[in-house]
Amino acid sequence: MDTLKVRDAKDVEQAVREAVASEQPLEIIGHGSKRLIGQPMATNAVLDLSALSAVTSYEPNELIVTVQAGAPLADVQSLIDSKNQQFAFEPVNTAALLGTPELGTIGGMIGAGLAGPRRIKAGGARDHLLGAHAVSGFGDSFKAGGKVVKNVTGYDLCKLLAGSWGTLAVMTEVTLKVMPRPESERTLVLRGLDAIVANQAMTAALGSPFDVSGAAHLPNSALRSSEAGGLGELGAGREALTLLRLEGITVSAAHRAAALAEALAPFGSAQILEDAASAHAWSSIRDVIPFAASGALGGAPVWRIVCPPAAGGALGEQLARDTGGDMIYDWGGGLIWAALPPTPDAQAGFVRRRVEAAFGHATLIRAPEQVRRNVDVFQTQPRGLADLSERVRLSFDPKTILNRGRLTRGPAA
Amino acid sequence: MAIMMPASDPAVLDRREAIVAALRAIVPGEGVIDSAAEMLPYESDALTAYRQPPMVVVLPDTTEQVSKVLKYCFEQGIKVVPRGSGTSLSGGALPLADGVLLGLGKFKRIREIDFDNRVVVTEPGVTNLAISQAVAHAGFYYAPDPSSQIACSIGGNVAENSGGVHCLKYGMTTNNVLGCEIVLMTGEILRIGGKAAENSGYDLMGIITGSEGLLGVITEVTVRILQKPETARALMVGFAEVEAAGECVARIIGAGIIPGGMEMMDKPAIHAAEAFVHAGYPLDVEALLIIELDGPGIEVDELISRVEAIAQGCGSTMCQISNSEGERNLFWAGRKAAFPAVGRISPDYLCMDGTIPRGALPKALARIRDLSKKYNLAVANVFHAGDGNLHPLILYDANKPGEMERAEAFGADILRVCVEFGGVLTGEHGVGIEKRDLMGEMFSEIDLNQQQRLKCAFDPQGLLNPGKVFPTLHRCAELGRVHVHGGKLAFPDLPRF
Repeated sequence: MDTLKVRDAKDVEQAVREAVASEQPLEIIGHGSKRLIGQPMATNAVLDLSALSAVTSYEPNELIVTVQAGAPLADVQSLIDSKNQQFAFEPVNTAALLGTPELGTIGGMIGAGLAGPRRIKAGGARDHLLGAHAVSGFGDSFKAGGKVVKNVTGYDLCKLLAGSWGTLAVMTEVTLKVMPRPESERTLVLRGLDAIVANQAMTAALGSPFDVSGAAHLPNSALRSSEAGGLGELGAGREALTLLRLEGITVSAAHRAAALAEALAPFGSAQILEDAASAHAWSSIRDVIPFAASGALGGAPVWRIVCPPAAGGALGEQLARDTGGDMIYDWGGGLIWAALPPTPDAQAGFVRRRVEAAFGHATLIRAPEQVRRNVDVFQTQPRGLADLSERVRLSFDPKTILNRGRLTRGPAA
Repeated sequence: MAIMMPASDPAVLDRREAIVAALRAIVPGEGVIDSAAEMLPYESDALTAYRQPPMVVVLPDTTEQVSKVLKYCFEQGIKVVPRGSGTSLSGGALPLADGVLLGLGKFKRIREIDFDNRVVVTEPGVTNLAISQAVAHAGFYYAPDPSSQIACSIGGNVAENSGGVHCLKYGMTTNNVLGCEIVLMTGEILRIGGKAAENSGYDLMGIITGSEGLLGVITEVTVRILQKPETARALMVGFAEVEAAGECVARIIGAGIIPGGMEMMDKPAIHAAEAFVHAGYPLDVEALLIIELDGPGIEVDELISRVEAIAQGCGSTMCQISNSEGERNLFWAGRKAAFPAVGRISPDYLCMDGTIPRGALPKALARIRDLSKKYNLAVANVFHAGDGNLHPLILYDANKPGEMERAEAFGADILRVCVEFGGVLTGEHGVGIEKRDLMGEMFSEIDLNQQQRLKCAFDPQGLLNPGKVFPTLHRCAELGRVHVHGGKLAFPDLPRF
């Protein structure tokens, strides 16, 4: 397979134009850390952006960082961490879940748009992409957005690029919003709740004035592996855990943790984790460590289900009961990671029917290639919406050169 | 008018009577307005310098009616301009002489309040403030708060991606909407998103938000609601130099503090506001910051003292801290009344809306002062300092020949300065017609073509709100053409593996 290792935006333009001329679709990669996600593609050339790895500018006082799309995420994260800043949407590190090396680029982070627990408060990748330079399927470099937080000049193309899995344009440089890292964090731990009651506790917490920045529930079954889901001592009791995070300046986080514990007293008495212990628990949830490829559930296909948060508990209980699978709930119930017993279609039909009935949508985030060939990895949309999405895609990439077939099965795309 | 709008289609104007009759068949009774006198209130929005009576006004009250009106107009090749409350400051709802003005004012019902999912499902004609009022009893509110929030509609907020003084901490409209029902120009009704945090597929909600009524007509919106912070307190800090105030803003952010609001006013704005509302503003400072901290009392008290120390470190000449809601509201009263306050001291004013990187504030202000001398027009500046969004108010008198044109040229130069400093033409008011012809300062033709191609995916005939946002209109077929270079591209030096 041909791999084109591009050095700058001009190279990308040339590569795309050549691909258009020769009608050869391109697979767009940074480090390739998320290549196992999506429909298997039939591309036979790879556009490798990993050499576009420079930090163009970092201005902590402006709360922005501008980097080339191939910049290693870990490097950029440690750079902004040195100024006590972070990507507030907590990008998910999929390495443990997929069993791939600890890699990943900024472009992949945006293209996949997978946000962690703080999404309920801070928004997702789409809320942090302020501007981009990208090459469309026409082979033209274009600019979207700007380098300031507040901007309504023209269409907000950045929203489309985030989460588009490289099917609209090849991002070459992006400007991202960064936010101060909270001074302290506290996590309330409630034990032994079932998913429905846990969902109620999370709903109560998120409806409180205490500014909860994480609300997750791990049923005891998810903690059965020897490492107890990567939660260390916390998971050792093999009891279901309901976690609620409060962040901010120290006095405030401590005050709100105590107040929330009191408000949630009907759900049981809460243990309070501080700083490092709290951070460790949330990174396990963010990266779906209980379903790690190397763990007890490593062979199970994993669905990522997004639904109205108050419906999550009932939906997850139903899926667990009817499939024998395991669930992890995040976003107050609005995000369910479901690890199901393996079948040739990862129980796609069943999962989708249940999820759609709850007004949610499901992505098969981990499954063997043969399974991903057989099912729609991403949720199919109702006719009119699907047609509009396809017209939108074609407005960027009329010859379907970029990541052809990654999002949908079928001949066209 | 200085801005050229798309030429009227005489064939459409000739059919006006038949068109009105056809629209009456879709929207019965008083929902169709065609008399010149009754159409008067619709001939401009809040950019009142531009006026144009529409061909006819239609005020549907169901999604089906909206769909039928659009389908009819699509089939007949008639242009449509959507309108919410008409508070746009950029002319987004300026009618067209040969166009239907589609008002959403009858969509006034909140359809559902769902506290468990923390969302409100509402019709687009409901005002921004009414959403907050409807959930206030349970301690919730809708965060984006444009200063027109008493009047502006949520549908208009989505179309313009409206901001407000609190968007530094709580985001703009786009960060607070989850879903919508939208009617395309063809009449097709689509539902996008819902109560879940994310949509499936491409983020179409994200692209519709801020599309200025060019992509579709919104007939329902699902917004996030938040719990009101326990308390809020404000500081009023004066500086002898704008540079020191700018430095103070940078250091607050640098210290990891994101205030609920952080506003700056320059001397002319301070004087105008003080004369109007007597908020107790100091008259001997060059710049005044109003900084609001919100959250639990214990947090707010701590942050107030941190901010106060930072301000002192930056050489503040005065600092007052609110000790009651009354005092806090008084600090804000002057800022919130800044526009009408300026309106009192000048027959007319033009409000600009560029955004710059925060650090460029002092430089930008100096340039604005130079331009003020050059154009011989006074300017008062209010800024959303936290996010670098400038609102220079250019004072002029429309009755003096040439003065409005001079004010507009001055405004355009200010926006060029914003772009030169790495900023953008508009932070929250939208492009509309006002900044349309300046789009080329920020975007290349390729950039704009890509945006227009997206428009084609929604509205291939360009019938929905044409003449707004884009300085030049292209036919969709022309934009969609791919230039293939015969497979003979010179590409010898790219590393291959």
